[in-house]
Amino acid sequence: MYSLIKQIVCCPGTSGSEGATAELLSDIMKDRSDEIYRDRLGNLICRKKGRSENARRVLLCAHMDEIGFIATYIENSGLIRIAPIGGINFTASSYSEVIFENGVAGVLVPDSGVAAGSFAADVFGVDIGASSAAEASRRVKIGDRCAMRQTVRRLGGGRICGRPLDDRVGCAILAEIAEKLAGTETEDDIYYVFSVQEEVGLRGAGPAAFGIRPDVALVYDVTGTGDTAGAKPMEVKLGGGAAIKLRDSSVICNPGLADELAKIGKEKGIKTQFEILRAGGTDTAAIQASASGCIAGAISIPCRFIHSGVETVDLADVKACVDLTVAYLTK
Amino acid sequence: MENINENSRPSGIELLRTLCGIFGPCGNEERVRDKIADILKDSGIASEKDRIGNLFVKIPGGGEGYDPENPVKIMISAHMDEVGFMVRDIDADGYIRFICVGGIDPCVLCGKRVVFMGAEGEVKGVIASKAIHHKTAEERTTAVKIENMYVDIGAEDYEDASRWLAVGDYGRFDSEFVRFGINDAFIKAPAIDDRLGCAVIIETLKRLASEGKKLPFDLIAGFTVREEIGKSGAGMAARRFLPDYSVVLESTAVADLPDVKPNSRVAAAGGGGVISLLDRSTIYDADLVSAALELGEKKGIPVQIKKYLSGGNDAGSIHKSAYGTACLAISAPSRYIHSAANVICAEDYFSIRELVYAILTEHSFKK
Repeated sequence: MYSLIKQIVCCPGTSGSEGATAELLSDIMKDRSDEIYRDRLGNLICRKKGRSENARRVLLCAHMDEIGFIATYIENSGLIRIAPIGGINFTASSYSEVIFENGVAGVLVPDSGVAAGSFAADVFGVDIGASSAAEASRRVKIGDRCAMRQTVRRLGGGRICGRPLDDRVGCAILAEIAEKLAGTETEDDIYYVFSVQEEVGLRGAGPAAFGIRPDVALVYDVTGTGDTAGAKPMEVKLGGGAAIKLRDSSVICNPGLADELAKIGKEKGIKTQFEILRAGGTDTAAIQASASGCIAGAISIPCRFIHSGVETVDLADVKACVDLTVAYLTK
Repeated sequence: MENINENSRPSGIELLRTLCGIFGPCGNEERVRDKIADILKDSGIASEKDRIGNLFVKIPGGGEGYDPENPVKIMISAHMDEVGFMVRDIDADGYIRFICVGGIDPCVLCGKRVVFMGAEGEVKGVIASKAIHHKTAEERTTAVKIENMYVDIGAEDYEDASRWLAVGDYGRFDSEFVRFGINDAFIKAPAIDDRLGCAVIIETLKRLASEGKKLPFDLIAGFTVREEIGKSGAGMAARRFLPDYSVVLESTAVADLPDVKPNSRVAAAGGGGVISLLDRSTIYDADLVSAALELGEKKGIPVQIKKYLSGGNDAGSIHKSAYGTACLAISAPSRYIHSAANVICAEDYFSIRELVYAILTEHSFKK
């Protein structure tokens, strides 16, 4: 599982530019699904056919995109000004190595003299080591995208750390579920949706669901935890198991589905915990309300330090998410 | 610049003048819509209206490359509405208290002429607030709040004012269309956002009709409502027609002005249509963005990239409606947007018009 996660994490793909990640996942999924296509917005959709023509349609979704930056202006000095793509925490991103899609490396730095309390996109730039605008624009064009370096490493105790675990870990979970179900016949028509543009406002998943019209949907995304120093009170903790979402600031999940998942976890000895996320939204909201609506829930991956370069998850939780879903779909 | 029909220039500016002069705050687009329908009808182009008030022209494709079984569908749209005002209250002395419809900076309001549409017709007035010698020391250094402004319509008292206006009546800036600058290069008018987009679409439809050109896709031209309060009309249009691609014509605040840092200047007036890579509501389709920039370069039509991430437009609701739609936005670089004096460089109007025509007639849209 770690090597699969590593492979998926290390692929660039800021919101709206998920092509490389989609290609990689498409390759991984080709033997694990019956039909693969990308829709107009770029969502990668992999279908595993169910037993009958009128099978229940189950949509499993994880988003491919990561937060990052887009080059908007090149200063005479060669410094590249940027705009954020998605919810950037500039304190967490400052003085970091960033990589453009074409491989050009740089460092994201604030203008000197700017206090951390005043950090905002306007006072940040990427230094790619160029000494003039002309030199910089030979290597980076306006509109080119970059992100903090994609990387992952093992910590102790089965935990891993890097970025963007949000939400490539979810993508890896979908791929692993697909692997486990590939040889078996399932009752349901299963649609693995690797969505685009989640980080900029849940924009991709709704249209994907509109095309699929699922009966039931489950979303796999990271969620915050309450177990770090100074954390706001929250039940979810690393190593506590698959986090069955009850609500976040974008959605109230179907309670019947959440209870059913918890019950299956108990029966099968798979560790679960209930999740209420007070600040943050997920594709669950967009899918639930798409077209005429569906029964929607989410199985979240507990994650510390979300949207930083050191997002941390526990592989045991990741495995619990996979096992719980496989148990649900094969019961 | 090739492809520009010099003879059509005065009529293009006249069309813009006509459209900018029509009363049409958000939710009150009927006068704009009726005028556009009339103009199109005069050229033999039929249009239809939907329930929310959007106006559509449908042009079926044909000829080489057209697949009648499964046609590519393209929507080009611009919004008819403008920012404006609404009567909130009429006080005992006959002064009109108001709210803004759409995003207006209170700083651009005091001393401006406005016109409201009452049951009996137009009512003119001026926006005012307490005189400086009545202001406290703090009030002298801070912006006047909308709730402390009023419109003076010259009424004697509540009874008098109530004969002309009622709570809920709409208003707009009362401002003329003026050419100014060297060689009259600039235009000042109200509602250039987004009557300019409407004018470009009208001219494009007339040109396609007069040339008898068949496009290899079904074209839907949409004149939409209610963009300024949250983009609702365009999303409905997209769900109605399910376009594969959508081209949104807009205005964007350019900020090529003193006191704005170079990296915060969105674009420059006179630099041609502004192509957005992304803004607060949409990430635009990368292929369409490249196609627009390449066509501009190839045909010598000025075009520029939006250099700062700000704003949003109808693409925000169009691109994620139904199955999703690949979007391109071409904006007119406008100074002082959402004020009585929108300012554009006239040449940008023609650049956008030519770019739109080039995209529709030369870009190859794949299903």
